[in-house]
Amino acid sequence: MATFGWLILLCPLVGCVVISLGFTVWPGRTPGWIGTLAIAGSFAASIGALITLQGRGAEERQVVSVAWDYARTSGVDAQLSLLLDPLSIFMALVVSGVSTLIHLYSVSYMGSDRGYTRFFAYLNFFVFSMLLLVLAGNFVVLIVGWAFVGAASYLLISFWYRRTTATRAGIKAFVINVVGDVGLVLGTYFIFKGTGTLDFLQTFHSVGEAFSRNDGDLVAGCIGLLVGAFAKSAQVPLHTWLPDAMEGPTPVSALIHAATMVTAGVYLIARMHPLFEQAPAAADVGAIVGCATLVIAATIGLVVTDLKRVIAYSTMSQIGYMVMAVSSAAYTAGLFHLMTHAFFKALLFMSAGSVIAAMAGNQNLDEMGGFRRAMPFTFACMMIGGLALSGVPPFSGFFSKDDILAFVAARGDWHVVLAVLGFIGSLLTAIYTFRMIFRTFWGEPVEPARVLATTGHVYHAPEHTNPATGEVEDTDVGFPGPDHHIAEHEGSMKLAMGGLSVLAIVGGLLQIPKVTHVLDRFLEPTFADSRFKTLEPSDGLTALGLVTGTVLSLAGIALAYHLWVRRPDAPGSLRAHLSGLHQVFVNKWYFDELINTIVVRPFSWFGRFGRNTFERLVISGLFVGGTSGAVRAGSAAVRAAQSGYLRYYAALLLLGLTALGLYFLLAGS
Amino acid sequence: MTIHLSILLFWPLALALLGTTIGRRFAPAFGVLGTVVPLLYAILLIADFDSGARGLQYVTDDTWIKTLGIRYKLGVDGLNLWLVALTALLFAAAALWVFLRPVARPRLFTFHLALAETAVLGAFLAQDLALFVLFFDLMLVPFYFLVGQWGAGRREDVVAATYKLIIYTLVGSLLMLAGAVATAVLSADGGTVSFVLSDLAKADLGDSTQRWIFVTFALAFLIKMPTFPFHGWMPDAYRTMPLPALAIFSGVLSKVAAYGFLRIVLPLFPAAAQDYQTLILVLALCSIVYGSAQAFTQTNTRLVLGYSSVAQLGFIVLGIFAFDPEGRGGQGAVLQMVNHGLVVAPLFFIIALLAERAGGSEDIRDMGGLAFRAPVLASLFLIAALATLAMPGSANFAGEFLILLGLFQTKLAMAVIAFSGVAMASVYMLRMYIRTMHNRSGERTMSRELTVGDALVIVPLVLAVLAFALYPQGALSDSEPAVKASIQEVVR
Amino acid sequence: MSITWYLCVSAIVFCTGVGGVLTRKNPLVVLLSLELMLNAANLALVAFARAHGNEEGQIFALIVVVVAACEVAVGLGLIVALYRRRLPIDVDELRELQG
Repeated sequence: MATFGWLILLCPLVGCVVISLGFTVWPGRTPGWIGTLAIAGSFAASIGALITLQGRGAEERQVVSVAWDYARTSGVDAQLSLLLDPLSIFMALVVSGVSTLIHLYSVSYMGSDRGYTRFFAYLNFFVFSMLLLVLAGNFVVLIVGWAFVGAASYLLISFWYRRTTATRAGIKAFVINVVGDVGLVLGTYFIFKGTGTLDFLQTFHSVGEAFSRNDGDLVAGCIGLLVGAFAKSAQVPLHTWLPDAMEGPTPVSALIHAATMVTAGVYLIARMHPLFEQAPAAADVGAIVGCATLVIAATIGLVVTDLKRVIAYSTMSQIGYMVMAVSSAAYTAGLFHLMTHAFFKALLFMSAGSVIAAMAGNQNLDEMGGFRRAMPFTFACMMIGGLALSGVPPFSGFFSKDDILAFVAARGDWHVVLAVLGFIGSLLTAIYTFRMIFRTFWGEPVEPARVLATTGHVYHAPEHTNPATGEVEDTDVGFPGPDHHIAEHEGSMKLAMGGLSVLAIVGGLLQIPKVTHVLDRFLEPTFADSRFKTLEPSDGLTALGLVTGTVLSLAGIALAYHLWVRRPDAPGSLRAHLSGLHQVFVNKWYFDELINTIVVRPFSWFGRFGRNTFERLVISGLFVGGTSGAVRAGSAAVRAAQSGYLRYYAALLLLGLTALGLYFLLAGS
Repeated sequence: MTIHLSILLFWPLALALLGTTIGRRFAPAFGVLGTVVPLLYAILLIADFDSGARGLQYVTDDTWIKTLGIRYKLGVDGLNLWLVALTALLFAAAALWVFLRPVARPRLFTFHLALAETAVLGAFLAQDLALFVLFFDLMLVPFYFLVGQWGAGRREDVVAATYKLIIYTLVGSLLMLAGAVATAVLSADGGTVSFVLSDLAKADLGDSTQRWIFVTFALAFLIKMPTFPFHGWMPDAYRTMPLPALAIFSGVLSKVAAYGFLRIVLPLFPAAAQDYQTLILVLALCSIVYGSAQAFTQTNTRLVLGYSSVAQLGFIVLGIFAFDPEGRGGQGAVLQMVNHGLVVAPLFFIIALLAERAGGSEDIRDMGGLAFRAPVLASLFLIAALATLAMPGSANFAGEFLILLGLFQTKLAMAVIAFSGVAMASVYMLRMYIRTMHNRSGERTMSRELTVGDALVIVPLVLAVLAFALYPQGALSDSEPAVKASIQEVVR
Repeated sequence: MSITWYLCVSAIVFCTGVGGVLTRKNPLVVLLSLELMLNAANLALVAFARAHGNEEGQIFALIVVVVAACEVAVGLGLIVALYRRRLPIDVDELRELQG
């Protein structure tokens, strides 16, 4: 059991090390295949762990394995330990499974990129970090994994490092993630203060005795954890890095910024459920923020014109659902949505990557159209992903999203409001998803689509420019050369996209309301101590939810069809009517500006003030100047005695001697 | 009673003296030989060290100046064991660097480096207050020459920087000398005077006496580190000092001061330390916030690192003065001293390499895109940079985690403010990394991989960072009893 | 004869020397005055030796003579060196030691 756990971690780590050490010798696509193999090994180990775990009794399904003491000193028990239980194995399966497919996709997608080896080294390092995060057995290891994924995400966002937009997005993502790390560490301190241990299981066992319900320290601790979760999972107001993170290569967006890393916050809340249940106030904060995020992100998704950013905002919105779910004690539902979302969102990103490749790197929706004929396979995948995301039965997203909403509604009280907002969100989801699909695949074929359909070769842009700044791309390093675009013709890409399509369709069957309970049963040992484990939506509520969900998603698609296919002039007039609201959406609710004004500007002013004024006047002037001034004045006084006149010295000598003689004379008498 | 520590202490100086008598071609080689042996010695010490035991090990104790009660007493315990190893490692790296990249007047340069090593090791090992003060002041001598004679830049700037460095830090040192004499004389209380630390710790000074003596010591140490607002000498000195010397200066010398707090101030003046706790903590917090803010406005790479050191040393002081009963803050501080030295030295060597590739400029505005043909250099830089910003998973994180945990227990609000420094560290380190290695290439930049010689210096240091990141437990286990003993004097 | 007279002569000679050292600018004269002071001291030493009836004072006087000889040698050497380098033979002009 423990061996499998360490194997899960070791595979990608070894992959990363092997790829990086041999960076000068690997021919062609070898690094890609090594990387894929490493992750596949990790997936196999996860399955091994799953089988062994299921072979144990329900009470023995929590295994802790300690490698060595990390910083075990003066009462701090920081060890390098793993916790293997159904939840962590579930996450490991999702992460390594989806990662394998995305690696497979990247093998050909990144094929002509000049940073091929570097890309796979980073990607393997990311998977290692993510697995470390989900398998962590105590807070320190969790924080380490947490920060490692942040670093990997930074490296991959700024993968094309000659692009200034990419490096700026990278540092933004990293810094916001560090803010999250800080929250996580502070939260850990608060919890440690009460329980005196960093080990997960011991913390969970002692939380009941250490803290009373809604104890101040515990709530503060849980809020700290939530800050960490919000930063990593791009929840309001720490979400601004995610849309910018789309500067990275598309497989990165699929893997990190859709399927795995951004769901870490959801995992964290689910993992810490004993704490959150003891501190319901904090859990409520999580639920409300999740709900707010899902609405805000969906509204922005309606107006964004960058293909990948639409999907990014959609990711934010969907994670909002998950955060809302796990904060409302609908753990299984939230994790179920995490899984299905990983499938269909990765699929959507892969399809988008395929389109972007055909567009020669251009991501602007305004310049796309009519790709249906040119890229039938991509079109099919995008449709499956879109239907699953919109929650159309019987695709996977339908079951998982409705599971969440039914559970949240079943909590009663004000949670019903959250559920209603969730339903509104699902209408918006359907609209923005199909706006994106219709604008890409319907309408008059644009030049690249025509070239691809008639010649079978991808369109070559005359010159690569950065879509954000218009700057000419520096294609020396990392950035794909002109022969990069392979559209959808390669086998490994098709295999990855096909595999995910199948999962996006059938994934929902694991948990059909009132029919199948595969996940419920599997995750039960982890959530056995939950106060809400008997919570179950009534049959009527479930049926109502399913019907409403279906109607809303179909209505959304119909509306999108009406607006962007049948009456292409309608959006323009609508925009004119609602220009105020449109402005807010286009400017992303002014979050960037807000953060700029209250954090970035004051700090840079402080820094400049320090450098230009304070340093000169006080530090150099007062302290150094004062000290050296005093020393100089002292030395000037002494120097004045050194006139250089011989007789002056002689007279001084005489004077001294006389004084001495007088002293002895007087003292003697 | 062993002679090992004396060999460790004087070996570098002896070899360098030998080197000066033998032609200039061989002097750097003798310098390397002089630093490698102490390094091996230090590694053996760590391996042989009994981590469970309390008190000093490998003690050397001899009469030196009998009438003044000064003894030649050296010893190793958990506080200085890893710092001695750090010193030996960084000096070995610097000596190797000088060996591989000849400097002007190599014999003198090597000699000054060796003298510095002996002085620093002496300050770490000394268990007698007078001996400590002697070595503490001796450290300044070689750096006076290293800055003054080998300093880069216009002549008058170099002279000004040298004066600032010497006068400012010497004022602090002289105050400390007065404080040390006063401590010994007043502790003797008419009896026989003794400067031995263990004797002084037993004596009980009055509260008001402790207070003013504390101020003299604290000033000397705070200037040396430096902390806000005593860092005025730092920018000029950092700008001009030759890089191998700077790597040592920033890596080790500042730690001597922090170590002085743990070794001398806390055990000798516990009541005063308790009184001034808040003041020192506030200064440390200011160092963190101010240093970080400066680090992300500076454009000279040396100064970015210089101000980041101000911030990092702020954390170390926070840990020392957290005074939590378990001694977590102190533990973290000891770990962090080693960590900071370990990461900042390779960064300074890397700056030398970056400047070579950017047409000699050390300004980040003249750099950019240097990672292109230098993946190894970029990776080494990245690892060191991430460790500097205390990314979880690095030993620096373990250090900061313990420091802030200790502070969190005693001064919650201050710990929360200190966390802002953690976030800002990521801004300034990444800014420096991106502006040098990433983005568009600068006008006069030429990207090329580091040579085998450069790798010989930098790779072992980065490997040490990685090894430490995987297993900081070794240092923590060794230092636990000593730190506890030092903190308990105050918390009691 | 009482020792007083010897000491009086010694003091007069000594003061003459001091006056010379303090007022004259020519290094040769300064050196001469210095010799006067030394010999005044010698006189005092010998007088005391005689008065106390032991010979040790005379030994001291002999040593002083030797020292004075050395000093004159060095001093004259310096003056000659100054002359050779065509520097002014004036102690007030030679103030390189000024701080």
